[in-house]
Amino acid sequence: MKDIEFTVESNIFLTKSVLELKLVASEQLPEIRCGQFLHLKVGGEFLLRRPFCIYKFDSHSVTLIVAVVGGGTRRIAEFKAGDKVKAVLPIGNGFTLGNEHRKILLLGGGVGCAPLVTVPLTYPDREYISYIGFANSEAVMFEKDFGAFGKTVLCTDDGSAGRKGYVTDVLREDVEKIKPDVILTCGNTPMLKAAARLSAETKIPAYMSGETRMGCGVGACLVCACAVKQKNGEIVNKRACVDGPVFSLEEIIL
Amino acid sequence: MSEEKNIDTSVEICGVKFRNPIITASGTFGFGKEYAEFYDINKLGGICTKGVTKERREGNPSPRIAETPMGMLNSVGLQNPGVDGFIREDVPFLEKLDCVVIANVAGRTEEDYCYAVEKISACKCVKMVELNISCPNVKAGGMAFGVLPESVEKITRAVKKHCAKPLMVKLSPNVANIADNARAAENGGADCLSLINTVGGMAINWRTRKPVLANVCGGLSGPAIKPIALKMVYETHKAVKIPIVGMGGITTADDIMEFMVAGAAAVQIGSANIFDPCAGINLVNELTNLMKRCNINNVRELTGTLSV
Repeated sequence: MKDIEFTVESNIFLTKSVLELKLVASEQLPEIRCGQFLHLKVGGEFLLRRPFCIYKFDSHSVTLIVAVVGGGTRRIAEFKAGDKVKAVLPIGNGFTLGNEHRKILLLGGGVGCAPLVTVPLTYPDREYISYIGFANSEAVMFEKDFGAFGKTVLCTDDGSAGRKGYVTDVLREDVEKIKPDVILTCGNTPMLKAAARLSAETKIPAYMSGETRMGCGVGACLVCACAVKQKNGEIVNKRACVDGPVFSLEEIIL
Repeated sequence: MSEEKNIDTSVEICGVKFRNPIITASGTFGFGKEYAEFYDINKLGGICTKGVTKERREGNPSPRIAETPMGMLNSVGLQNPGVDGFIREDVPFLEKLDCVVIANVAGRTEEDYCYAVEKISACKCVKMVELNISCPNVKAGGMAFGVLPESVEKITRAVKKHCAKPLMVKLSPNVANIADNARAAENGGADCLSLINTVGGMAINWRTRKPVLANVCGGLSGPAIKPIALKMVYETHKAVKIPIVGMGGITTADDIMEFMVAGAAAVQIGSANIFDPCAGINLVNELTNLMKRCNINNVRELTGTLSV
């Protein structure tokens, strides 16, 4: 982890309320793994940093997907090319695949698709099938990203693009045929709950990247506690920032 | 002593020497490990650990944080590994440090406090114990001991007998008269005081009709509380003879100077660590630079120099 100064290269709206923010560092970045995130200084009246998953990265730049939902993200929407910003990165455990995980199912909901795009960068030698879901056709993003590394099934809640229905319900219809070795997922809590049920029923292991309010982002303040059920049945609090953000859907209590 | 020629940033509190007056505040710095990845934490005057209790605690439900104008609310609720976990998992790291380690101790009952203080103050690496009787985020204990002057005096006196190191009592701002509570701690045998802990506060999402924090209320920290903290350090300095460690919303070297002028012998840096992982080291450097610019050779000379 390092606090690094970046220059904003571009900041564009992908949809009405989702930004793609590209940041270029003045130095070589530490090694980033899929599913890790950064903690971005917002500036102005906002003292707390904001955690964002990394959507794309190379040795000198990172691209983030930012859902504009409140005052802090509205300020981020005002970042202009050339602005200097600071961010701590890379943070968290990220997605880890075992050698036995050859066929990977990526299950993304809305902006939650963004961290899944980095998985094939860290693990290029696997087979990928992606199920991505959005509210409607206007909210669809990342179709090309996922299409670049494997079969992609697009779903919308209202059927205005791709298959109609919640992405987890669509996947449920197909999962027996696909027989993935593992499911990696990110999305809102109802979607993650549905994914947890699917994983429990099919016995396909699943790992999720969650979202929670954070304080320090480096593991010290214990603000981002999430309840995790251990093998002995004991429930303990883990830090989403450095113990997560990726947890097994079997152990995390959503 | 700073490396800079003629600039002396060192302070001494109850016989304990600090390289500079900058101490990281309890609850914002873990047990030091996490920040050691960002900078050499031995450059700090000291670190104050997360509050440790007799038994391991899981703390409050999430969300535990809310951003508020120029500040933040937290309701972590003393999640910690317990005395034994602290000694097993954290003391080995703390033993290697060259800055002052202050262990913050909390409890539910007087017996819990005494038990934890006795065990923790016996650790060689712990140079001072900070008695947490001001945590607003736990139902039993914590602040219950810190509100009435009588109970402040009683718990201080009880704990003092079990404390092998200088005892710093951390005062709550959520009281009728800070000077009364400061005197009570002094009468109870406190060797020094630290103040202020967080100010009780609340954030509400009116659209959902819900509090933002799962624990409903929390403790406010950050620049928003600095004026409150300065007033309380000033009032406490007039009321007691023992040294004061001031805190509350410090984010700049000028803030440190203000607290020292108000009566603090040293300061603690809290929320600033959360806003910026390098806040501690940045403030150490800023303080030296500010002293140079203002021709202040010895930081100790500032304490209590407020002219009213």
